[in-house]
Amino acid sequence: MKIIKLDDKNVIEKTVEVLQQGGLVVFPSDTVYGLLVDASNEKAVKKLIAFKNRPPGKPISVFSDWDFLYDLVLVSEKQKELLKNLLPGPFTVVLKSKGKVCPLLESEKKTLGVRIPDYQPVNQLIKKIKKPVTATSANLSGKSPHYSIESLLKQLPESKKKLIDLIVDAGKLKRNKPSTVIDLVEENIKILRQGDIVFTQVDTYLSRSEKGTKKIAQFILGKLLKKHVKKPLIFIIEGDLGVGKTVFVKGMGEFLGIKGIVSPTFVVMYEYEVEKSKVDKLIHLDLYNVEEKEEFEYLKIEKYLVPGNLLAIEWGEKVGEIFDLLKEKGEIVYVKMSYENEKERVIEVSF
Amino acid sequence: MILSIDTSCDETAAAVVLGRRVLSNVVYSQVLLHQKWGGVVPSIAKRAHEERIDFVINATIKKILSQKNLFTSKLASRLSSGSVAIRSSSSDEGSLHRNFFDYIEAIAVTVGPGLAPALEVGIKKAKELAEKFNKKIISVNHLEGHIYSPFVQNSKGNPKIDFHFPYLVLTVSGGHTSLVIFEDHLKYKVIGETIDDAAGEALDKAAKLLGLGYPGGPVIERLAKEVDNRDFYHFPRPMVSSDNLNFSFSGLKTSFYYFLKKMDEKEKLKKIKELASSFQQAVFETLIIKTEKAIKKTGIKNLALVGGVSANFYLRKLFRNLAKKYNGQVLFPSFKYLCGDNAAMIGVVASFKAQKNLFVSDIKNFDRIPRMSL
Repeated sequence: MKIIKLDDKNVIEKTVEVLQQGGLVVFPSDTVYGLLVDASNEKAVKKLIAFKNRPPGKPISVFSDWDFLYDLVLVSEKQKELLKNLLPGPFTVVLKSKGKVCPLLESEKKTLGVRIPDYQPVNQLIKKIKKPVTATSANLSGKSPHYSIESLLKQLPESKKKLIDLIVDAGKLKRNKPSTVIDLVEENIKILRQGDIVFTQVDTYLSRSEKGTKKIAQFILGKLLKKHVKKPLIFIIEGDLGVGKTVFVKGMGEFLGIKGIVSPTFVVMYEYEVEKSKVDKLIHLDLYNVEEKEEFEYLKIEKYLVPGNLLAIEWGEKVGEIFDLLKEKGEIVYVKMSYENEKERVIEVSF
Repeated sequence: MILSIDTSCDETAAAVVLGRRVLSNVVYSQVLLHQKWGGVVPSIAKRAHEERIDFVINATIKKILSQKNLFTSKLASRLSSGSVAIRSSSSDEGSLHRNFFDYIEAIAVTVGPGLAPALEVGIKKAKELAEKFNKKIISVNHLEGHIYSPFVQNSKGNPKIDFHFPYLVLTVSGGHTSLVIFEDHLKYKVIGETIDDAAGEALDKAAKLLGLGYPGGPVIERLAKEVDNRDFYHFPRPMVSSDNLNFSFSGLKTSFYYFLKKMDEKEKLKKIKELASSFQQAVFETLIIKTEKAIKKTGIKNLALVGGVSANFYLRKLFRNLAKKYNGQVLFPSFKYLCGDNAAMIGVVASFKAQKNLFVSDIKNFDRIPRMSL
């Protein structure tokens, strides 16, 4: 283990040399002290993982440079613009990996975290070495990160110190928080397509206010409940953010005598008992945060597909994965809500 | 001692508490530092509590026995061969459990509000343990847990904060936004709550509209900080002129959506920090205005800010300023982990319930209440 100062004249050259040889380097950054190894060198990465006692499966992000960032991860044109405005900065962006780094650094889903810090020494280092370098904080897994070499060395047992090849000491770093992770990986979920459902009737309504949206919801529900339905009613509600999907469900709820319905986005599903109605229970779902098809398993939706239940599903177009099940067990009503302008909404109901 | 379990939403969590002291606390994601899915774990997948509950409870028990502090080591030595059992193989797990449960007075569990299938996992486990070891069950509202979070202590009994009732408590998280008068132990009065979206949810959604992924709260906080939390666009402060203390964020969401729609795509990305900061400012100022209204209405000056969004430093600063203005005291969750979901705060509430003999009387029919209110 060798210690040099950050203001050493040849600090970048010396660090590059150690990294090229597969060495493990403790290096300062804009946030905390980091552990650097050559991200394309599997042996070096393994050494890093052993050092951190890191459980397998947890990804490790890398420092990059604008020159080769797009070789490392898949970036859409729109995301390119976004990245230009975020980086350099205290962010780790997560994107689909192109497999140019050691696979141990990627997540199970083959994504990779990338950083371009607002910190000259790291930027110079990457420019010189011309390849990605790991950017994980210099601490053992589960322990807090370090802002000084002194506090790091205090924590480390001798066996760990031996694994470090070089320490670049920049004194006490400013106590900036570790970088914030921004997950830019597109969701992978089957969206319902227009042709998936055939309806016999399509009604279009215009709502001029929240009250109007509620009234329309009540009118539709009232009409449908008059019919003899053996299966649970399933309202699939589609529409942009803020268009009034929760308001629509609140309207149905009020018709059934339920007060206090709020958005279930965060919790994903809320259920309400109903008294004195043909409906026993209102199940209010919101698929906004659902990103993977595996997630549906945890909702146990089949359990709720029994006669007497009313399901209202916001961001319902995301039910693609389980639509066959819904169609078989329930009676589908498709509600498409769209902005006419900031005040008015068009509500198209098909069943 | 109480063993507590919380599976209301994102975290599979268990803890052991003695009064207000947390002797052992385990949250699944902390144990494994698990981000297997890469980036951020999707919201529902995180709630695969069934696969984790046993692991988390075992880890909680092992942790308490491996601690070196005086308080717990006494306990560990009393549990015959306790410290040996930790290191030995899993065949001893049964006897370790039996020893441990001798010292447990009751099992506390969150019954709501939350995701029904998630809550069910915790309740089922609590019932199972109660039957196996012949223990009582204490049912706790998740929101009560947050309200008690500023008073939770570590195993050494710190921090030593006394109760000076009443408190005005603002709970802000991804799923909840409410103003509650914390009148006395286990006595709450809800004086305001959201009628549509929670404040944390509004922040998450704004982040997604800006192309920043989920969860957006921490990203928005960081972006806003880069432009000194300034307000550039003056989005509407929803419902601040109405007299009641309820919150609504859907109108703000609509106006943000429309604002972005009219904006040139490039310009939008260029101004991403300014947009994030302005949106956050609109949400936070609404929270502050309503809290101030509540202070004036109730005359209560002692404030507490709890829930996931209470981790936001800027909101804390605004809250401190508000308390200062009225010469009041302000409390935040006593440790950072208490901002998020955890079972420690559930256990602390349960300790106060145990003092009053508030146990579940009909364990057989004891069930979750997903839309439970305070």
